[in-house]
Amino acid sequence: MPNEYEEQEEKYIPMQRGSKAFRRLLGDIFSMKRESARLIIAVLSTAIAATLYPLSLAFAINGVISGNFDTLYTYAGIFFLLYVVQFFSNRERTVSSTVLAQSVIRSLREKAFENLQYVPVTFFGKVKTGYLISRITNDGETLSEFLTFQLPQVVSGIATVIVSISIMFYYDFNLTLYALIVIPVLMGFTFSLQGKVRRNYLRTRRAIAAITGNLSENINAIRTIKSFNVEKRMEERFDDLNKTNFMANMKASLLASLYGSTIRIIEAVGIAIVLIAGAFQLKAGLASVGILVAFVVYVQEFFEPVVQLSQLYNSYQSSMVGVARIYGIIDFPRQSSWENATQHADFRNGIELRDVSFSYGEDEALRNINVRIRKGEKIGIVGHTGAGKTTMSNLIMKFYSPTEGEILLDGKNINEVNTGEYRRLIAPVLQEPFMFKGSVYDNILFSNPDATKEQIDELAKRFSLGEIFSHLPQGLMTNIGEMGRNLSEGQRQAISILRAFVRNPEILIMDEPTSQIDPYSEKLIIESLSDFLKDKTLILITHRFSMVTLVDKIIVLNEGNIVEQGGFKDLLDSDGVFSHLYSIQYGESNGN
Amino acid sequence: MSGPSGESRELGKRLGVFQPLLFGLQYLRDRKWILAIVIVSSVIATLFRLLVPIFIGDAVTSIQKVQYARVEYYSILIFIVSSVSGGVQFIVNYGSQYISQSYAYNLRKDVFSHLVRKKFSFFEEQTSGDLLSRSTMDIEASRNFILNTASQLIPTLFLIVFAFALLLSINPYFAGIFIIAVPVLIFIGIIFQRKQRTHWRRIRTYYGQMNEQLQENIVGNRVVRGFSAEEQEKAKFSGTTGSYYDEYITVAKLRGKYNNLMPLVVSAAATGILLYGGYSDIISASVVGPLVAAVNIFSLISFPVSFLGRLIVFSENARAGISRIRTVLETDKDETLEHGNPVRLAGDLRFENVSFRRDETEILKNISFEIKTGEFVGLTGRTAAGKSTLINLIPRFYDSDSGRITIGGVDVKNTTLAMLRKSVALVPQEINLISGTIRENISFGSSDDQMDAIKWAAKIARISDFIESLPDSYETMVGERGITLSGGQRQRVAIARAIITKPGILILDDATSSVDPETELEIFREIRKNLSGTTVITVTHRESALRFSDRVFSLNSGILQEEDESQFSEVVRGEDRS
Repeated sequence: MPNEYEEQEEKYIPMQRGSKAFRRLLGDIFSMKRESARLIIAVLSTAIAATLYPLSLAFAINGVISGNFDTLYTYAGIFFLLYVVQFFSNRERTVSSTVLAQSVIRSLREKAFENLQYVPVTFFGKVKTGYLISRITNDGETLSEFLTFQLPQVVSGIATVIVSISIMFYYDFNLTLYALIVIPVLMGFTFSLQGKVRRNYLRTRRAIAAITGNLSENINAIRTIKSFNVEKRMEERFDDLNKTNFMANMKASLLASLYGSTIRIIEAVGIAIVLIAGAFQLKAGLASVGILVAFVVYVQEFFEPVVQLSQLYNSYQSSMVGVARIYGIIDFPRQSSWENATQHADFRNGIELRDVSFSYGEDEALRNINVRIRKGEKIGIVGHTGAGKTTMSNLIMKFYSPTEGEILLDGKNINEVNTGEYRRLIAPVLQEPFMFKGSVYDNILFSNPDATKEQIDELAKRFSLGEIFSHLPQGLMTNIGEMGRNLSEGQRQAISILRAFVRNPEILIMDEPTSQIDPYSEKLIIESLSDFLKDKTLILITHRFSMVTLVDKIIVLNEGNIVEQGGFKDLLDSDGVFSHLYSIQYGESNGN
Repeated sequence: MSGPSGESRELGKRLGVFQPLLFGLQYLRDRKWILAIVIVSSVIATLFRLLVPIFIGDAVTSIQKVQYARVEYYSILIFIVSSVSGGVQFIVNYGSQYISQSYAYNLRKDVFSHLVRKKFSFFEEQTSGDLLSRSTMDIEASRNFILNTASQLIPTLFLIVFAFALLLSINPYFAGIFIIAVPVLIFIGIIFQRKQRTHWRRIRTYYGQMNEQLQENIVGNRVVRGFSAEEQEKAKFSGTTGSYYDEYITVAKLRGKYNNLMPLVVSAAATGILLYGGYSDIISASVVGPLVAAVNIFSLISFPVSFLGRLIVFSENARAGISRIRTVLETDKDETLEHGNPVRLAGDLRFENVSFRRDETEILKNISFEIKTGEFVGLTGRTAAGKSTLINLIPRFYDSDSGRITIGGVDVKNTTLAMLRKSVALVPQEINLISGTIRENISFGSSDDQMDAIKWAAKIARISDFIESLPDSYETMVGERGITLSGGQRQRVAIARAIITKPGILILDDATSSVDPETELEIFREIRKNLSGTTVITVTHRESALRFSDRVFSLNSGILQEEDESQFSEVVRGEDRS
């Protein structure tokens, strides 16, 4: 069951292959030229110093054997000096590698975040929040270790290997060949494991994403979980994912540990070969003892980066899976109209829905809708639940595009109109008001950061909404908690309304704006609204007929079709869906 | 498994670096023998690895003495010793991974079980994004430390001890030079640790904040788009990633300085040995083998010593993470679901002088009323009057400050929470559907996942026709937050989810606000017909719903009042009737 979702998600958000992602990542890194140059210089200095110190050790030992104090002192001094050089170069390396790593991670996260603002709204219906968060934060984090420690180490490792081999060849060609015998074995061994290692890490990334996804869902549904007493069942489900994660990691670790141990044994073979071959060379008078000692050190030095490479290799695979998952978000195509919509949003005449049909999946939620809304006109949309009212407002908000037909703003298809400009004309009061962490003020200012607190106070007073917040300990300054959890639904709706009003929009779209506000407060809002709405266009979706007095025209939707439209009085007299709905709310008791 | 005891915390404070380790041990109680195997193996592996430079030294001495047969002998020894150390190293690597993953598994399990038992008030203070990072990345940070400690700390410490012993056996003066370096290393380590502490705390906090903003932005994506606040949101997120970045760089600067000082100290000691050893070898004209071995030992421990520095980094990161995890593990905000006598509750609902306060404001004042079994009661009142608070007291999502709530004469506090919530079903204002099929959603709270029962509940909630019109019917997947359903449809699924449990008391907290009045009344009628013994309380602003009810209460300024039918239109309009 969990795997199904992950596979769907990976199909929905395509993933680049590891090597391709790596090349792209390198491109991102090297675009920071100054820092990359600093890092490379630091790494190379470290590597050179590291390869030279066995040599100075060899000369110092030769000095000891030949009984030469000066040689000993000189080379012992150089020996230490090389470490001092390493101290400074390593220090530089630590800082510049962190700067590079963290800059890359930061920019990946910001790019992913940015793209999330422009992907089609349907994206959020397909991908679970927790999984998305896991990609941007957890997966980003896998890069930290890799870029900060492993990558510079491998660069320095490669440099060390090259310099070591050159020096070795310079001093003793044959002995060097002996020392290198094990290299092809090592490489063959490493590459044979590649595919397996990658699959292992993909599994671990999925497992942690599943955990994050499950946690996110559970935390958000905590009230439901408690209401239904299913804490135990949720724990069992979580435990399954937790176990899967454990197993996935152990599987990855088994291969990584086996690899690490095998490398150690291959290293020992290399040293033994050098010693035996060296002894023969020495016997033949072809090498000095000092050089042989240096060779043994070189072989060890040489294997150190190789062993690290084994760790790096695991980390590489794990990071590339991670980074490919972030690139998946960054590359996700934006809502088409963001990129190529170049027309300006001029609003002088009106909005028109022409032959609009829409379906979320199989069934059509709206069928052949034709509506013309003149500028300054106020229309109401009513109908049963699921009739398509909210879908209609979603289409006008450009959250979705019609599957057929078009929506025109002053005759221009809104898909060709700049989305930012278009939405700036509109202020929505959504059915489910979303609240951000912060104060009531913060949440209202969100829609118009230029507004002042005084303006908000004034607005609240004008619409008599102040009293709704009067119980809050610090009034409008009260922190409302995540998603406004410290507020009642009615208070949230009041914020949502103020949020739209403070923007002073041309077009106001209100979707059940007062469904959870008491009728008395609602009445006060309505009284002030007619004045506020002068010259504004209003699209009002409602079940409550109290607000219908505000509108000039009513459109009645039923199962995705427009079944009636006209003025309030006409509809009431015509004994259709509308008058039926009205009589239920205001007519005689239907109670028994 | 319980949270950390006060004692271990006290001890942890003193030990600093090892504090995360003590914390970790609590979650490794049943893994003790594996831990022992890993430690023993790491000692063996280290021991064998240290034999390598000794044999190399011996081999070089043999070469110098022109005893070539012995060179072969030592080469074979080196191979054998390395193979053993490689094999044992496998146990160390795999075993320490096993330990660290077990730790993370157990801790995560514990965190989750605390999390689902937290009181509502906990979730009003915490944000889900931040809680998410506490339960994932903060655990990961501490796991990383445990992993590296199990696989590296103990070998590193043993390595240093062995190195000392070996040096002592080669030449006591070498050992003397070495021992001078140790306190210097410790001193550097302590300063390093202290300097980075606050930064890691901030890093972990910013990470949580990052999750928090992502969560908000994703869940609230329509509001962000609707108000074209994309730029604002980007700036906010960028502010957090920026602070996170800055802290990381500060730590990197500290690490660059202190961590690299450590190998420098080791190399100074190696130089000292080279100078002293070389000098005395020349004087005494002895073989250079021991000196080569001694210097080699140093080149072997230089990397582990610098690793000690990194371990300090891991430790501080872990510590900051653990202190954040503790917020979840602390039990003072936990509910005990099974505590008490599991008394079955049935019968009339009574409030006796119930008062409730929040932040100094009295929300409910001395509320008293009684609702008979099977009654259908409407509750209305001004927005934010405290209606939700009142009904949330019944299943004890909050506890009243004074007064008593009884069901069938039994105080709701005298039974277990599990039992209480089995008999009281509350459909909240804010509907949360889980990801999965409609069938799974409806049977969510019920042990009964028979299709008959599901269809029965869906029919009562007037959602069965809609569900059956879908191509996959009850197997239709609803998105994470039920994204493909309209508000009214979602509310009706939630009502079906409550109905299937056949509760003694069904509370609808404005749970039909997005359902049109006609459908709403149909649902009410169905409930009345099919669940005749169930007491229903519905919070509503609709006159039609009030007319349907047997009795109506209104709550204003914390005071409850029963209303007469003739006054309903005034009641819902909130007109002043004094």
